[in-house]
Amino acid sequence: MPGKEGLTLFFPEKMAERVLTPVETRAGSAKRTIVFVIVLIVVAALAALPWYGNSVLVQFGISVLLLATLAQGWNIIGGYTGYASFGNSVFYGLGAYGVAIAMVQFKLPFWIGMIAGLVLAVVFAAALGAAVLRLRGHYFAIATLALAFIMTAIVSNVEIAGSNIGLVLPLLKSDVLFYELALGLLVLATMTVWWLANSRFGLGLISIRENEEGAAVMGVNTTLYKTLAFMLSAAFTGLAGGIYAYYITFIDPVGVFDVGLNVKMIIMAVFGGPGTVLGPVVGALILSTISEVLATKVTSIASMFFGIVIVIAVVFMPRGIADVLRRAGRSPLRYFVDNVRTHRL
Amino acid sequence: MATPARTPAAAGNILEVRNLTKRFAGLVAVNDVTFDLRRGEILGLIGPNGAGKTTLVGMINGTIEPTSGDIVFDGHSVLGVPAYRRAHMGIGRTFQVMKPFPGLTVLENAAVGARFGAAGGIKDMRRAQDRARECLEFVGLGRRIDQRADALGGPDRKRLELAKALSMKPTLLLLDEVMAGLNHVEIEEVIEDIRKVRDQGISILVIEHVMKAITSLSDRVFVLHHGEKILEGPTEEVLRDPRVVEAYLGKKRTKS
Amino acid sequence: MELLAQVLVGGVLLGGLYALMALGLALVWGVLNIVNLSHGALIMLGAYATYYLFTGTGLDPFAALPITAIVLFVIGWLIQRGILNLVIRGPMFNTLLITFGIEVILTYLAQLLFSADFRAINPPYAGNNFRVLGITIPLMQVLAFAIAIGLTVAMWLFLLHTRVGRGIRAASQNLVAARLYGVNPRSIYALTFGIGSALAGVAGGLYGTVSQINPYIGGPLTAKSFAIAIIGGLENPLGVIVGGLVLGIVESLTALYAGSTYRDVASFGVLILVLILRPTGLLGRTT
Repeated sequence: MPGKEGLTLFFPEKMAERVLTPVETRAGSAKRTIVFVIVLIVVAALAALPWYGNSVLVQFGISVLLLATLAQGWNIIGGYTGYASFGNSVFYGLGAYGVAIAMVQFKLPFWIGMIAGLVLAVVFAAALGAAVLRLRGHYFAIATLALAFIMTAIVSNVEIAGSNIGLVLPLLKSDVLFYELALGLLVLATMTVWWLANSRFGLGLISIRENEEGAAVMGVNTTLYKTLAFMLSAAFTGLAGGIYAYYITFIDPVGVFDVGLNVKMIIMAVFGGPGTVLGPVVGALILSTISEVLATKVTSIASMFFGIVIVIAVVFMPRGIADVLRRAGRSPLRYFVDNVRTHRL
Repeated sequence: MATPARTPAAAGNILEVRNLTKRFAGLVAVNDVTFDLRRGEILGLIGPNGAGKTTLVGMINGTIEPTSGDIVFDGHSVLGVPAYRRAHMGIGRTFQVMKPFPGLTVLENAAVGARFGAAGGIKDMRRAQDRARECLEFVGLGRRIDQRADALGGPDRKRLELAKALSMKPTLLLLDEVMAGLNHVEIEEVIEDIRKVRDQGISILVIEHVMKAITSLSDRVFVLHHGEKILEGPTEEVLRDPRVVEAYLGKKRTKS
Repeated sequence: MELLAQVLVGGVLLGGLYALMALGLALVWGVLNIVNLSHGALIMLGAYATYYLFTGTGLDPFAALPITAIVLFVIGWLIQRGILNLVIRGPMFNTLLITFGIEVILTYLAQLLFSADFRAINPPYAGNNFRVLGITIPLMQVLAFAIAIGLTVAMWLFLLHTRVGRGIRAASQNLVAARLYGVNPRSIYALTFGIGSALAGVAGGLYGTVSQINPYIGGPLTAKSFAIAIIGGLENPLGVIVGGLVLGIVESLTALYAGSTYRDVASFGVLILVLILRPTGLLGRTT
C-alpha cells in the first residue's frame, strides 16, 4: 500500500491499536447496489413512458420532471451548501429567455438557445454569488428574494426580451422530445448530486452548511465553493427554464421570473429531504401528483394545498420524507411527536 | 505555495509575530504584541479572560484581520492570506467555543480536515478517511466515529475538536483551551496526547487556564494582559513573577 | 423644482405608511427571531377587514382601525400559539418556510372569501386636498402618515416605558433571563406576534385608503417591509421611520426620473446595497 507510510509515520504508535473497520459495512454496500438497480429500472420505465402512456400523462410527466430538476438544482445550493436561495427562479427565467431570444430575435436553433440560456444563468450566478453569498441566513434568503422581484421589473423593460408583453416561440409539436429532454436533464442533475454526496467537493459544501467558519479554518475555500455550488445550481435551473420556454412556446417576465416557482422548488426539496440525493425528486413527484389531482377540482384550494403541506411538513417532518423513511420505521407516531417536542417552545 | 525564500532569522522560528494590534470599534483587544514560536516548541499563552488570547489566535490563523503588525509563518508573511490558505500552509487550530459540524458523523468531521487540510488535504477518499480515523483513535474517539457530532458530550466534543485540527496534518497547532471543562484524568490524557503530537515535530501554541497543563507542557510561556504582552520567558520563572500573580492568579484568588 | 418638491412630499408621506408596515415585521423579527413572510398577507387581511367594516357597517375607515387591530391581534395570537410556537426552536430556515406556508394559505383563503377583484377604501372625503406653498397634499395621505408615525412612536414608548414592553424587550435579549423576570415565553411570544399582526392590520387599513388592494399584495409588501427593517436596522424601533422615509423618497424619485416601472428595482436595489454594505442597517452599529 503506497502512501500508507506517510500516514502511519504521523502516529506510529497508533498502528497497533488501529481497529480495521472498512469504509462502508458490507450491508451498506449491498443496500446501495439494490437502490442503484431500482433507480436504473425506474429511469428505464420513465424513459419508455411515452410509448405506453397517453399524452396527458406525458404532459404531466414533463411538468413533474422539470419541477424535480428545479428542486434538485435548489438542493445543490440550499440542501447541500445550506444557502436558502430565493433567487433560483431568476436562473430559470434567464434560461427561458436565453432560448426565447435566440430563437425569436436571432432565428437560431434551439440548442444554441439552450447554451445561451445556460451561459446567462451561470454567469449571472457567478456575479451575483460574489455579492450576496457573503450574507448568511435570513439575509441571504431575502437578498435573493429581492433580486427575483428586481429581475421581473428589469426584464419587463428590456426590448429584446419583448418587454412586459413577452415572446412567442416557434411551435414544435413533439411532447415526446421535451419529455425525454426533461428526463435526461433530471438524470444528469441527480447524478451530479450523487457525485456531490460522495466527493471531496461535496464534502466541502456540506461542511460549509454545517459550520462555515469551521470549514474555512480546516482548509475549505468557502467563497469559491459557495460560488461554484451556486453556478451549478443555476446551470440545471437555467436549462430547465430553456426546455420549458420551447415547450410552452410563450414566455413573459411575470411568468418565468415567478417567485412562487422558486418557493415550489424549495418546498419540494424540503418535503422530500434537503441534502439527500433522491429526496427532492421524490418530493416533486408526490407534491405534483397531489396538487394535480386537487387542481382538477378547485383551483384556489389546490394553491392553498401547498401552504398546508408546508405547515404540516415543517411541524411534523422538518427533515423531509427521506428522514421519515430512515428513522420513523418502528414507531411513526413517536417520530412525529418527537419532532414537535424538540422544536417547540 | 511559492518556493520558500527564508530569511536566516526565520530558520529556527516557525512563527514570528511582530507588533500585532487589533482594534474593535475603539477598543484595543490586542496591543503591539511581538513573540516568536520556535520549531518543535510548545509555547504557553496565559492571561485572564478578555486578555485578547483568542483574538490573537484568530489573527494567526486568519479568521480575524489585524489592524496593524505582521505575522510571519514559515518564513512568509501571511497578512491578507485567507484562513483556508493558511490551513493549506499548515496552520491548524481548535476553538474555545467549539465548532463541530453538528449534523455530520464524528468520522466525517475529521475527514473534512483530512481532505482539505495541509497542502490542500488528501485527495483520495479512502486514504483521507484512514487518516481521519487515525486521528480520532489517537484522541480516544475511535469507538464513536459513526455518531453524529451533536450527540457527543462535552469532553468528547473537546476531543473531536483536537482530532479535527490534527486531521489537517498541521505544522503549527494553535490550541485554544482544549482542556476547559475536562476532569483530572481527562486532562492528563490530553496533556499526554499533546506531548506526543509535539514529538511528531509539530510546533504548538497552547492557551490554557489549567495551570498544570501549562507547567507540564510549555517550554516557554508568555502572558497577555489587557491585550499587551507583559512577560515572556521560561515557564517556571514566568509563573513565579509577581506581575503574573497580580494580573492573573491574584485576581482569581480574590474572587473565590 | 415645484414638481420635485411635490414628489418629495409624496415620498415622505408614503414613507410614513411604509414605516408602520415594517414596524410589526421588525418587532417580531427582533423579539422572536422570525422573519415573518406572512407579514404582507396580514397587512392584506387588515386592509380587507377595514374595507368590509367600512362598506358593511358604514363605519368611517379611520374609526374602524381599532377594530381591525383587534381582529388581526387575535389572528396573529392564534398563529403564534397554534403553529409557530411548535417550530420556533427549529432551524431558522424552517420558520422562514412555515411563515411562507401561512402566507400562501392566507392569500388563497382571501381569494376564496373576497374574490380576486381590486378594491379600494373610498370614504366621501377621499378626494380632498389642501395646498401648502404651492404643493398639493392629499388629505388621506396626510391622515395615513400621521396615524402611522403616531403609532410607531407610541409603540416605541410602549416598549421602553411599560411593564409588558419591558417584558418583550427582555424576551428579545435573553429568554432565560426573561423567565427569571416572571415572563412566560409562550405568552410573551404570542403577545408579541399578536401586536405585530395588529400593527400590520392597521397598516393594511391605511394602505387601503391610499391604494388599491387585492389578495395578492402580500408578497411584495413583505419584501418591502423587510427592506425597510433592514435599512433602518433592528436595534432601534425608530429605525423603521428612517427606513420607511428612505424607501418612500427613493421610490418617488425613481418614479419621477426613471418611470414607475423601475420603482421596485430601486427599492429592492437599495435593500441589496444596504445588505451588502451595511448589514446592521443605516442606524446600526458598525463592527
